[in-house]
Amino acid sequence: MSSHREAPSISQDPVADNADTYAFVSPDDPTTVTIITNYVPLEGPPGGPNFFEFGDDVLYSIFIDNDGDARPDIEYQFQFNTTLRNEDTFLYNTGPIGSLDSPNWNKRQFYSVSVQRGGGSGTLGQNLACPPCNIGPRSTPNYDALAAAARHHLPSGEWVFAGQRNDGFFVDLGAIFDLADIRELSSAHLIPFANSTSVDPLKTLNIHTIAIKIPIWKLTRDGSVPSDPLAAKSVLGIWGGASRRKVQVRDEHGKGTKGSGPWVQVSRLGNPLFNEVIVPIGDKDRWNALDPIDDKDFAKYVKKPELAGLLNVLYPGAFPNIAAYTADPTKTRADLEAILLTGIPSGIVPGFQNFTGPSPADMLRLNVAIPPASDPSPFGLVDGDPAGFPNGRRVFDDVVTIELRAIAGLTIPLVDPSYTVDPVVTIPQFSSNLTPGAGRYQSDFPYLGTPHDGFDTPSS
Amino acid sequence: MERLSRRSFVKIAGAATGAAALAAAPPVARAAVGGDAEHGEKINPTTGVPDEPLVAYVRDAKRGEVTVTAGLTEHTYRDRALVKRLLRAARKGE
Repeated sequence: MSSHREAPSISQDPVADNADTYAFVSPDDPTTVTIITNYVPLEGPPGGPNFFEFGDDVLYSIFIDNDGDARPDIEYQFQFNTTLRNEDTFLYNTGPIGSLDSPNWNKRQFYSVSVQRGGGSGTLGQNLACPPCNIGPRSTPNYDALAAAARHHLPSGEWVFAGQRNDGFFVDLGAIFDLADIRELSSAHLIPFANSTSVDPLKTLNIHTIAIKIPIWKLTRDGSVPSDPLAAKSVLGIWGGASRRKVQVRDEHGKGTKGSGPWVQVSRLGNPLFNEVIVPIGDKDRWNALDPIDDKDFAKYVKKPELAGLLNVLYPGAFPNIAAYTADPTKTRADLEAILLTGIPSGIVPGFQNFTGPSPADMLRLNVAIPPASDPSPFGLVDGDPAGFPNGRRVFDDVVTIELRAIAGLTIPLVDPSYTVDPVVTIPQFSSNLTPGAGRYQSDFPYLGTPHDGFDTPSS
Repeated sequence: MERLSRRSFVKIAGAATGAAALAAAPPVARAAVGGDAEHGEKINPTTGVPDEPLVAYVRDAKRGEVTVTAGLTEHTYRDRALVKRLLRAARKGE
């Protein structure tokens, strides 16, 4: 998955598990950028009576590098606080929740937002209400109104939302983790089965979303709204992270844990699938604890990705060119280094760049001078849509197909014209084979659709 | 007492608020283990865990390194006497 349960330690800590990070110029307000970080992967909608929520003991961060040094120049921080109206009931709610201050809603969560930039810091909002989880038609009969009321416009100009949403990420988990099967190509697998149709297990699951819509001028290095895509100041590096206190002391009387010491990062996410697919399992926890500026340690995994070498083994004879390229000690994946670690420099894709300098760092790189596409392609830049991944990442971008094909060699010719892409890489079946259905997304902030309610999901 | 520097990135922003705790941490840590472990008294806790516990842990007994966390700060000291007292206190709990 993009980064759902991607590393050994964080898989034990869902509320701190940054599962997806998105960053894009807001389609309904191109003067702003929306950044989304998702947590609590694989939420089953009926998961009560203590429905899913953020961790009160977790510091959630969104980092922005605006000068290309892979260090954060701006950090938005979110911290949560859960309250109970009535400790003498087992119920999450004691009647329909008709508003965010409904007396029927027992277990509520609030949050604060602060920002650090240029050595200064400030609180932007406090006691901001999250919406409840989507329980069902009796408890949350008008869920969209609750979610809309939980979009907060801060006095400083940002919009924020924190709460449950529909998980927009899509991939055939069951197949991909069964020795990298693609059901449409199962008959060509090393352990063959009959071809079938890909399945999207995430289409009935929810996620917890932290979303912020920020005026572009607040993010750029000089406070401008860039219009030249080839200008260095047009590119932002963006990633999310979650931290816990260094020490947690558990109260012996069941009053939870108390923290001591500095915040220590336990999860981060820039590019989708980086830690999941590129970094080997023995290094994944370390990657989560480090910052993008430290990613030179992981560049070797990008230069020789394990999956590129496995494809021709798992699909015997189907990927001879990428197998040979990967095995050649004189070749490294400069294309993947550009996409994932440095950004794409000018001159590779006409009229486009999202280069942040030679320091290898895993960040989403968003060129804010590229306007939203009027007819977006889920395949983004490789399909001629420069407003999509790897120029930032939109909620509907098919990052599985894009990265699968890139790792399989589709993007090598951009930097090595002598390379011939294996024909199988461009057949339609070599993809996620999934198209998210209606309701997965919405056209306005926070852009991820209404979460599935627990009464109706699963439906049988 | 020699302080070994340990500090992490953004969290430097919390340094201003943590400065007082930083300076106060070593003596407080000593108090936490009874000041003089020779006369320390093993007791049952009288309260729950405080909201902001101050924690001292021996990082490397041979080197006499002890780490103290308090508030949003963490510092490691070389204090062989404190490490010795903590180890004594730990043995008393066995």
